[in-house]
Amino acid sequence: MSITRRIFLRNSALAVVGTAAVPSFLTRAAFGAVEAGGRNKRLVVIFQRGAADGLNIVVPHAEPQYYAMRPSINIPRKSVIDLNGFFGLHPSLAPFQPLWQQKHLAIVHAAGSPDTTRSHFDAQDFMETGTPGVKATDDGWLNRSLHSMPRAAQDSAFRAIALGPSLPRILGGSEPAVAMNNINDFSVGGKNPKASPAATAFEAMYDHSSDSVLHGTGAETFDAVKMLKAADPGKYTPAPGANYPKGRLGDGLRQLAQLIKANLGVQVAFSDISGWDHHVNEGATEGQLANVLTEFSQSIAAFWTDLGDLGEDTVVVTMSEFGRTARENGNRGTDHGHANVMFVLGGPVKGGKVYGRWPGLDQSQLYEGRDLALTTDFRQVIGEAVARHMGNKNLAQVFPGYDNQPGKFLRVLG
Amino acid sequence: MRSSLRRSSLGRSNFGRSSLGAKLALFLLCLSLAFAVPQLLAKKKEKAPDSGANEQKRAVQALNRLTFGPRPGDIQQVTAMGVDRWIELQLHPEKIPDNAVEARLAPLRTLRMSSKELVDNFPDNGVIKQVKDGKRPMPSDPAKRAVYQVQIARLEEKQQQKNDRVEPAAAPAPAPVPTGPAASDTAKTEAELAAAAAASPDSTPGMAADGNGMNPTSSSSMSASNPPANEMAAAPPAKVKLSPADEAEARRREDRLYADLKVQGLIDLPPDQRYKKVMAMSSDEQVAFADSLRGGKGQDFVAGMDPKQKETLMAMNNPQGIVHDELMQGKLLRAIYSDRQLEQVMTDFWFNHFNVFVGKGPERLFLTAYEQDVIRPRALGKFEDLLMATAKSPAMLFYLDNWMSVGPNSMQALGIPAHPGPYGPYGPRRFPPPNPNAKRKQNSGLNENYGRELLELHTLSVNGGYSQRDVTEVAKVFTGWTIEKPYEGLGFKYDPRMHEPGPKFVLGHRIKPKGEDEGKEVLHMLATSPQTAHFISLKLAQRFVSDDPPAALVDRMAKTFQKKKGDIREVLTTLFQSPEFWAADTYRAKVKTPLEFVASAVRATGADVDDALPLARQIGNMGMPLYSAQPPTGYSMKADTWVSSSALLNRMNFALGLTAGRVRGVKVDAVQLAGGPPQPADAAVALSTMEAKLLAGDVSQQTHDSIMAQIEAPAKSAAANQPGKGPQDQGSQDKRAPQRKPGDVARPPDASTIAGLLLGSPEFQKR
Repeated sequence: MSITRRIFLRNSALAVVGTAAVPSFLTRAAFGAVEAGGRNKRLVVIFQRGAADGLNIVVPHAEPQYYAMRPSINIPRKSVIDLNGFFGLHPSLAPFQPLWQQKHLAIVHAAGSPDTTRSHFDAQDFMETGTPGVKATDDGWLNRSLHSMPRAAQDSAFRAIALGPSLPRILGGSEPAVAMNNINDFSVGGKNPKASPAATAFEAMYDHSSDSVLHGTGAETFDAVKMLKAADPGKYTPAPGANYPKGRLGDGLRQLAQLIKANLGVQVAFSDISGWDHHVNEGATEGQLANVLTEFSQSIAAFWTDLGDLGEDTVVVTMSEFGRTARENGNRGTDHGHANVMFVLGGPVKGGKVYGRWPGLDQSQLYEGRDLALTTDFRQVIGEAVARHMGNKNLAQVFPGYDNQPGKFLRVLG
Repeated sequence: MRSSLRRSSLGRSNFGRSSLGAKLALFLLCLSLAFAVPQLLAKKKEKAPDSGANEQKRAVQALNRLTFGPRPGDIQQVTAMGVDRWIELQLHPEKIPDNAVEARLAPLRTLRMSSKELVDNFPDNGVIKQVKDGKRPMPSDPAKRAVYQVQIARLEEKQQQKNDRVEPAAAPAPAPVPTGPAASDTAKTEAELAAAAAASPDSTPGMAADGNGMNPTSSSSMSASNPPANEMAAAPPAKVKLSPADEAEARRREDRLYADLKVQGLIDLPPDQRYKKVMAMSSDEQVAFADSLRGGKGQDFVAGMDPKQKETLMAMNNPQGIVHDELMQGKLLRAIYSDRQLEQVMTDFWFNHFNVFVGKGPERLFLTAYEQDVIRPRALGKFEDLLMATAKSPAMLFYLDNWMSVGPNSMQALGIPAHPGPYGPYGPRRFPPPNPNAKRKQNSGLNENYGRELLELHTLSVNGGYSQRDVTEVAKVFTGWTIEKPYEGLGFKYDPRMHEPGPKFVLGHRIKPKGEDEGKEVLHMLATSPQTAHFISLKLAQRFVSDDPPAALVDRMAKTFQKKKGDIREVLTTLFQSPEFWAADTYRAKVKTPLEFVASAVRATGADVDDALPLARQIGNMGMPLYSAQPPTGYSMKADTWVSSSALLNRMNFALGLTAGRVRGVKVDAVQLAGGPPQPADAAVALSTMEAKLLAGDVSQQTHDSIMAQIEAPAKSAAANQPGKGPQDQGSQDKRAPQRKPGDVARPPDASTIAGLLLGSPEFQKR
């Protein structure tokens, strides 16, 4: 099994880093104790809504142009967490550093949607439908990715789940998908382990409703409620060291870990974090961007720690609708730009490396003279995760109209 | 919905009214025939087979769309008045007296305050710091003073804690402590608590809490830092040496502890005395009191007080939260109780169209005036007026950052002094000429946030044919449109020093340099553009008809928009008179948003709302926290956003909770809804009565049968739900049934459960 080979390759890195945050599957695997069969692969997508400033997140600190264009909001070279002599992490991404060193975390820079829009709404829509420039698409790519995906050992109402009060565009479509805001409220008429009469009545009503939207959602909902009651995940204590910060992303990922560890058959999951639209006073090593990056990285690192062994079969991909202007604007902020940075985290990830071609920041290299140019279509990254990790080779169905040949993959996954 | 699935009980309980409605409709028909207005012909054709039932159906349709849902009796009233006359009246809210809702809004004082008054009464940290530093006078009014003093004490405490973190702890760590990031903090708190105990030899904090039977969770600072008894023993408190500052801090903490107990003791006093006792407290006691209100725990304490007293006490804990809380309550009370329903619907619509977000900086200072003075008075007026008013509102200027946008070649950016003398900025040349290579001042450049959203979201729409160049040029046009001291709550100001000189080119037009008027010219251009007419018409049709409204309808509305110079009332008239508006295939075509769902449920039950905040929280749980849509797009009006597992469960639970009286501050008389206290044999009658009242009798067979099944066989279903108990146990189940307490799962559905099931049904999710 290729994973076992990679585990051994990785062990040398582990020895350097220490064992504080090492999932036990790695040490276990090193002794040849990986269990066979019944394994459930998972893909988790995290959306940074509001256009995150990729250039201040993974900083090209060896680019003099970067410092020239951002006199008041740059991340000084001495403050970045250097990755490879050219790029460095924003200091608020310190929780990512061990994941990078353990080679679980990879970065794809100058990536994103090739569409030229600078509208938040449209750009998010395009990245969720997976068809940039085509507005008529009515389902999301994460939902479509389930069409031809090998099914998990058991059928599950939690096969596709969004953490939050509503089902996002990315999970809309013909495959059942559940939105869960709070696992403790996920029932009708109280937390009683038995279904309440009201729940039974509601189920019957929605089961036969002539309204297709309500009927479909209702059926999925009651399946999930029953399954959750049966599994009875109870009061949840995250694994030691998994310190989720307050906030929607941390809450969402904590509950996702809870569902995954309760063996509820989660295959694809989605969560999001907003607050990236910093037109004014973005801040540098400290400030608005730093604060949201802290929440972002602490949440993801806690999730990874919490998953422990289960991280082996999990891939997490982050994305944002577009990047921000290479130059800071008049208000120590940045305006809407183009290409951005993506993180890929997981057991099968060949981490510790920045993928993609760096387009440069000279005036002639900028997109429309103002933004980081795009060299990797986000569908190449997602496509690789869907095809190689989740085992769905029918990418033409997931990304219609896009020639997503495996030859185009960056080979971020091992 | 297929008609074969539908049961109809229309016109049974209100036959008399319906025939009156028919007569009125006939009268109106004659009237319109007499005037023979040509554009009404289409509508008459639609109405041709008019009958009482048909008019009632139109009334339901109109109420579902123009209001936040029908209340008991509304359908009869609208039918009696005539649907068209009622619509005409709704389009002229100034003709509708609205005293009932005004009385309910009276206690919400912030709704009538200016932004400046809000700053003064509900200070943020900036204001508090100024007062603390003596740069701003402490208010003389005792109520305001109390609010300020608590905030100052908290600020001081925060700074003290910050200093403590920097300086090494004065007290030595009492015992070996566990390693970890929080260890040093823990040690410090323990030392402080020990010191507090030392200063008061007759009790230790932990014992005080236990000995007085106080709930330890009532003070968050207590429960968080209360160490286990054995650790206390390991740290002999008397031996800790303290600096004078630490002693003062320890005394303060101790005072808090006792103040907390004092607060607990006040709760049994009459409201007025309770208030006076708090006002008479020492500053430290007041801080402890304010802390005890954290986490929304203050409602019980302030119950029964007058609005100003309530507001003052709640403001002592969270002054800035009051403004947002009262805004949410105001929106809900208006949605539920106002008789000017269309005005409230349109105010909500335009607020969402010109969305701003309460959580951004001092935005909350501007929202009240934004809704009350900018949006509501223009909600049915001219679009251009509305566009102009939003463009100049501090709420929008701050939210989309235009107030900070500076022309790159403006006087401010080039560093030309503000008062260059009698000859104006450029001459005679006493000053060195502006040097374009001089180092630009920080914080002086273009911000294109407003320019982009103005084009994309407010007017032309994303496909409206503009380019990045247009966005930048529009941003230049609006440089200088700024706010005078935003953190002081002052208003719009045009600052010529920030304005980019020279002509601009927007959408192929040359805008001559003329300062502030350039912005007005661009707004006029955008407001009169055919793209804008189409986009606004489309959004209105999506709000009132269906997610995907007929193109022909939108085109006709857009034509009216252009012909009538953006008169919103005229555009709505075209919409309400269109056959598409009344077409059967768009009946109940819209899924209610959480706000619409909650407001309509409260309206349908005729509930009495004493406190609307718990309702606002429910709406937040359903994914639509009021005034908190962060992106400029506002909230979606489409079904797919609002139909999800989480949302449906929340809706069902809310419906059951509302009718069972479990939503605090809201009283529902479900028994009254059922037509009186129902006997078990009357359950079916009760169901029919409630179907008529809550859903105009228009309930699917499936929903009706599902509820009937619960009414008829509660014991059976309870047995089926008992794990490990088969049918053979049914006898014992039945025998035990009468002994069940209220709340047991097998209790037969009572009136409140039936009402809850109806409000949670698929039918009630739509309008």
